[in-house]
Amino acid sequence: MMVLRRKAGEAIRIGDDIKIVVQEVQNGRIVRFGIEAPEEVAVHRLEIYELIQAENRAASGADALAWLKGDDHDGTGEDKDE
Amino acid sequence: MMAQVKTKMSSQTEQVAEAFLFPQGIAGFPDAKRFAFIYEGRGNMVCMQSIDLPEAAFILTPWDEERLGKPPTLGQEQRHCLELNSDEEMVWMVVLNPFADPDWVTANLKAPVALSYTSRRGVQLIRPESEHDLRFHWMPQPK
Repeated sequence: MMVLRRKAGEAIRIGDDIKIVVQEVQNGRIVRFGIEAPEEVAVHRLEIYELIQAENRAASGADALAWLKGDDHDGTGEDKDE
Repeated sequence: MMAQVKTKMSSQTEQVAEAFLFPQGIAGFPDAKRFAFIYEGRGNMVCMQSIDLPEAAFILTPWDEERLGKPPTLGQEQRHCLELNSDEEMVWMVVLNPFADPDWVTANLKAPVALSYTSRRGVQLIRPESEHDLRFHWMPQPK
């Protein structure tokens, strides 16, 4: 992992399109970022994103259409547990 | 205009109405950006099937205001992503999970889906607030 030191008001750029600005460091503990990214780039808090990622994977798959068609009414699609 | 969809369930290609574009993809499936909706006659549930990735298929149902209260509010960036001019152009859906619980079909209230009829674009809104259920008991499993 690349590590950079930045002060409040300073920024980093990722590629041509993504800019992250350190807006504020509160009590030396909490950092507020400003993020500019293209609309096709989703920006989320990591822990929430990973939660939704796992749930989307658990809810999706070939079994979804099968379930909707009524082929798997017991809802026990294989390999669906997190 | 029609799009062709190949589902993982069968090798047949289904003809469906024009696809919806999700510019940001779906969490866990970043390459799945174009989706078609397949209705199989199960109440008001539909299958949102990726055109790009056969394994990315979700069951969606409309946001029910009576049970869930008012739907979320979209931020400016999401409205821009949907190319939305008015809220009347859009509909909220929730992603159902029929596989997680043997007794219940659950609904992910932390990440509902907004669709614009007019731009045919969609976005999954990820809500960080802790009060939204990841697995809300939506309906009992069909017997």
